[in-house]
Amino acid sequence: MIARYKREFSVSLALGLLLLVLGIRRPDFFQGRNILFLVTDAAPTLIVAVGIALVIIARQIDISVGSQLSICVVVAGLAGRAGWSAPAAAGMAILLGAAMGCLNGLLVAFVNLPSIVVTLATLVIFRQTLLYWGEGESIQNLPATFQWFGAGQAVGQWLVIGISGAVLAVAMAVTNYVPAGRAIYATGSDFEAARLAGLKPKWVTFGVFILLGGLTGLAASLEAVRKSQLGPKLGDGLEMRVIAAAVVGGIAISGGRGRLIGCLIGVALLQTIAPALNYLGFPPEWEKACQGLIILLAVASDAFDRKKGH
Amino acid sequence: MEATVAPPTRRLPLPSPLAMQQIVLVLLLIAEIIVFSVIEPKFLSSRNIRETLRLSFEIGLLAIALTPVIITGGIDLSVGSLMGLAAVLLGKLWRDGHLPIGAAAAVVILVGVVAGALNGLLVTRLKIPPLIVTLGTFSLFRGLAEGITRGADNFTGYPESFKQLGQGFVAGVPVQVPIFVLVIAVFWVLLHRSTIGRSLFAIGFSEEGARHAGIPVDRRLLLAYVMCGAAASLAAIIDVAHLGQAKADVGTGYELDAITAVVLGGTSIFGGRGSILGTLLGLIVITVLRTGLPLANVGDELVGIFSGVLLVGSLIVNRLLLKWSTHRAARSIV
Repeated sequence: MIARYKREFSVSLALGLLLLVLGIRRPDFFQGRNILFLVTDAAPTLIVAVGIALVIIARQIDISVGSQLSICVVVAGLAGRAGWSAPAAAGMAILLGAAMGCLNGLLVAFVNLPSIVVTLATLVIFRQTLLYWGEGESIQNLPATFQWFGAGQAVGQWLVIGISGAVLAVAMAVTNYVPAGRAIYATGSDFEAARLAGLKPKWVTFGVFILLGGLTGLAASLEAVRKSQLGPKLGDGLEMRVIAAAVVGGIAISGGRGRLIGCLIGVALLQTIAPALNYLGFPPEWEKACQGLIILLAVASDAFDRKKGH
Repeated sequence: MEATVAPPTRRLPLPSPLAMQQIVLVLLLIAEIIVFSVIEPKFLSSRNIRETLRLSFEIGLLAIALTPVIITGGIDLSVGSLMGLAAVLLGKLWRDGHLPIGAAAAVVILVGVVAGALNGLLVTRLKIPPLIVTLGTFSLFRGLAEGITRGADNFTGYPESFKQLGQGFVAGVPVQVPIFVLVIAVFWVLLHRSTIGRSLFAIGFSEEGARHAGIPVDRRLLLAYVMCGAAASLAAIIDVAHLGQAKADVGTGYELDAITAVVLGGTSIFGGRGSILGTLLGLIVITVLRTGLPLANVGDELVGIFSGVLLVGSLIVNRLLLKWSTHRAARSIV
């Protein structure tokens, strides 16, 4: 049991230790309000991390999600300001994200271009299109009926957390028990074998990119309803954060391996660092350095295990 | 059994995919220059060209140094962040460490070598995919730069003689030009005229095969990453001299621009294929775009959109040409 879930176990242990230190030094960290705020803050990231994990399991990568998120956030915000209801704006953002994912998926699955190059290009194209079209302005003064789905912050926070949890639960169920979910693993571990086994790995590849786009759109709408200011830079660096969370959570970059629960643990650990530094009295500017160190430690420990194993 | 065996589908002496990509790039470049000089005759003036050269130097340096890494089938996402760390360290050592600026620069180059070696060792010793290693160091290096400056510190007030390294002229051309030419020459000889270069191609083509052929794969890979780190430090030093300041955000996003230039130049992201000349062509195409578009009175943002479209477009064209040429080659044998 422990051997099988070793990665999940060791990362949880690290997170547990961090929380323990926080609990001893600063018990006030665990105030209900603070925890609720931090969890809400991490919820949209978790949704994108689940999406990117599926893409990585299919042995692809997508570094354009940050730009996709920025576009969807701004579009959802504009829709909200124009009087759309929050669910309608969210639907719009999801469709838009799926369309962008569709473009990536087409180029990767059917034109056979390497995904890192395709999404490097679309990262720049999406970002610059948004800056060109929106002129770098941010959107403010969203109507109260739009913010927090019109339910007020207290209920709205739980809605945001609930939606993210539901996405994770559904994705875990699908990847474990539904043939289409298993096909993602098959495609990622051996494309040719998957094809010979009668699966359609090209369509699976196409599908995971669309799925990631849709999930990014969903995450964007959650960001849109919970922030009072929606800027075109909201998604900057998101791609690195979610890839890091997935990798720390044990999703193998070589495809076909890893469990989605790892995304939850990875996101939790990486998102706890900034508030932990803050509460323990360290300068918050060291956050990125700590995150980098954690990524390297996580993958290095894997590598040591592999060496011992063989 | 049929008597007629299917003809081999290998191409005859038709241009290789790399050469084809370069032909596409040269045509593109000619088109760009014609369009821009029609729109704005000042485009070809020497002043404009001079400023262009200065601005594209840092990304150019990174792109040239990334070419061998990508040819081995690797990648280095950390170069932009390393520039930030190097710039901040240069400022810190000089202002707070009271080192002479020359010594500080030497230490910074050494830091680049060590940082590159860290990437290289994690890739070769622990067999972690380069994408993941350098994703980690991408965060780590930038994070260290932000930590050292507490996110706000800015190092300024460098001696005039140092600033000449970024703002001065040598024989009428910006200092950046001779440095860049020298770096290109070193990398060109290393990659295309030495056994080390051949082994880098072999590693990218098949790492296992290279190992069996007796190539010291780990040492060669380490060298590629170390040179990349040193180049990033050099780029940072020149950048600080050029702008006269060093903040933690130096070089943000440069890795993507540099990788774009390399891939646009026909170097395969999977390794085994590529050239310094191609990278240079890719750089020139993007740089001409970057200088030409603002002259044509369109927004700065369009540069990114165009270069992204160019990247995907050139790959698609390349793929189609390749299909067409193998098809023709197959028929001509019959």
